[in-house]
Amino acid sequence: MGALTRAVRNMSRRKMRTLLVIVALGFSMAIMVSIPPGIIANQTSTQSLTERFNSTITTMQEQINKTSTLMECSTSSGQGTFSGSQFGRPPGGSERAVFMNETEVNDIRSIEGVKDVVPFLETSSNETTSETISGPGGRSFTISRPLYTITGICLNSSFIENYSVLPTDITVGRNLREGDSGVLIMSSNLTDYFGVGVGGSVDINGESFTVVGICNQTGQGFFETRTVYMNISDAQITTGNTGNVSRIDVYAQDTSDVDGIATAIEAAYSGLTVTTYKDRLSQLQNMQTTYNETLTSAESTLSETQSVATQEIIVAVVAASLIVLFVMLYTVRERTKEIGTLKAIGFSNWNVMSQFMLEGILLSLAAGLVGIGIGSVGAPVLSGLLLPSINPFGSSGRSQFNPTQANFGAIGSRVASASLTPQLMLLALGGAVLLGALGSLYPAWRASRTRPAEAMRYE
Amino acid sequence: MSETVLKIENLSRIFTMGKRKIQALSNLNLQVKRGEFVAIMGPSGSGKTTLLNVLGCLDKPTSGKVVLDEVDVAKLPEKELCKIRRNKIGFIFQTFNLLPYLSAIENVELPMENTKKSKSERKKRGRELLQLVGLAGREEHRPQRLSAGEQQRVAIARALANDPAIILADEPTGNLDTENKYEIVRLLGNLNINRGTTIVLVTHDSQVASHTERMLLLQDGRITKEKQGLHLTKKKLMCPYCGTKIQPDDKRCSSCKKRL
Repeated sequence: MGALTRAVRNMSRRKMRTLLVIVALGFSMAIMVSIPPGIIANQTSTQSLTERFNSTITTMQEQINKTSTLMECSTSSGQGTFSGSQFGRPPGGSERAVFMNETEVNDIRSIEGVKDVVPFLETSSNETTSETISGPGGRSFTISRPLYTITGICLNSSFIENYSVLPTDITVGRNLREGDSGVLIMSSNLTDYFGVGVGGSVDINGESFTVVGICNQTGQGFFETRTVYMNISDAQITTGNTGNVSRIDVYAQDTSDVDGIATAIEAAYSGLTVTTYKDRLSQLQNMQTTYNETLTSAESTLSETQSVATQEIIVAVVAASLIVLFVMLYTVRERTKEIGTLKAIGFSNWNVMSQFMLEGILLSLAAGLVGIGIGSVGAPVLSGLLLPSINPFGSSGRSQFNPTQANFGAIGSRVASASLTPQLMLLALGGAVLLGALGSLYPAWRASRTRPAEAMRYE
Repeated sequence: MSETVLKIENLSRIFTMGKRKIQALSNLNLQVKRGEFVAIMGPSGSGKTTLLNVLGCLDKPTSGKVVLDEVDVAKLPEKELCKIRRNKIGFIFQTFNLLPYLSAIENVELPMENTKKSKSERKKRGRELLQLVGLAGREEHRPQRLSAGEQQRVAIARALANDPAIILADEPTGNLDTENKYEIVRLLGNLNINRGTTIVLVTHDSQVASHTERMLLLQDGRITKEKQGLHLTKKKLMCPYCGTKIQPDDKRCSSCKKRL
């Protein structure tokens, strides 16, 4: 019969009280173990945001540098960003595109200094879908938008060779090529909707097309693109826009010609928005500013997280220590006569003290296990409730979520989730032992100092 | 080994309650020989329990000497006192004071925990002692499953665990019915006769006290009277009432039929 067995027997003697204490302590422990993963998750989110922002900026910078002679002309304001959907608004937004005539395309081609004019037709499908998206502030939004975008591409071999006109990242099948008609490429997220793969046939506005390739969609979550790519003539016929285009990419002979051409186009066609290398650079700078603001906000949230976490951990440790302290003080008081008896039969002060400390530690250890159990299931929820979270949309998680905030489609909105690691679990158990020892130190010391003659009189 | 197991000289114990001083024991002198069975009687507040606490090293005297088994325990530090309590003294309490979450044998083993005895030796001794007090087969019973008399037997077995020089019993029959009261007194008497255990018993009950060897009356912290008890005759294996030869385990005299 050792002290450990006696401690376990004593705990099981008052089952309900032990259980309640363990549950109460367990919640304190759960809070303690859920906070560090929350901090780690926020650190990971911030780091991931930084990496993704940097990578996006670099890619964009490279792309801008490669396309210094490119001017994008579009008919509806705000849509004319380069490469269409990659950094643009959510695909197939509620605004309908206004089309320009192919005659205008030929007129632009004849402007001095223009090397090539590549027309595109981008229009929304007739089918629509309702989507509910939730933001970190706990608010949700239901948005109705077209199911997919139809993009018509001019499949001229010279355009295909010299410019980036075709979809990239083909995962299955092949890309479009000159002379293709009655075929299309679709983004992988449409395969389920159409229920076909490469070689299958899909119906677009009553016309049948054969799927020749599947490409990866771009963007994530709300910003995910769903697109079918086809020959521009097929797109014009299918959508009833014969002779119309929605966007043109104008390439100048030389970078020095760009400003003159852009001025000439804008003067001749007031409905067109022209985006040049300088505009894109300016957009990039704006985006960089926004990213920097987001990162600053994330870093500030991280620093706030650490400060809040420290306070919360202190509160949880103090609360848990107090629970152990009061429970053990009560236990010592309740068992005064037992202490007297133990001393009368030859137990030393140390024997008595270690007995009560062991009980406190065991209680705390059991609570630690419960806390780890709660924490391993509820760490993401608990850390979310207790700590401010990093919001990839540019401000801390407690602010309002703005689904229309621009240019984060490619970045994605994933926030790292808090989870307990085995090392953290071991650390938590060690902490529980320490806490139990700390909380039971004074009651155990008091028990050991009890004078046996007085203890024997205690009823 | 000295004849005297306990020697008290000029023992005083004064309690201070605020500005008031209460003299519980006053210049008390007492000697208990090895193998004696002594009863200390007295009215409430006479200092019986205080005396027993001082003798049992649970309390320290204000002045005087307490020599237990040739060691003056009055001035010893707590660390040494706990060893004395463990090895030289066995306690029996009115309310048994068994640990409710331990079985009978575990309660008996408890005082042996901090000794050099191995686990198996402790177990073996625990069984022997429970058998000695008539509880063979009840080793695994928890106190709540034992009668009051049985619980006190477990307490007696526990008191004998480390083969102490003296057993101090504080009203050991106070919580028992008549039948169990005499059973316990007989058990203590037999331990005294068969094993030579020195016993100092504190009681209110003159009938119980009469079954010991020497009765001391404590009044106002002093021993005022001393009387011989029936046990002295029983030690010679004779009926104290009619002088007929008896056996230590006899409950009644075969001749006069009186309770022994």
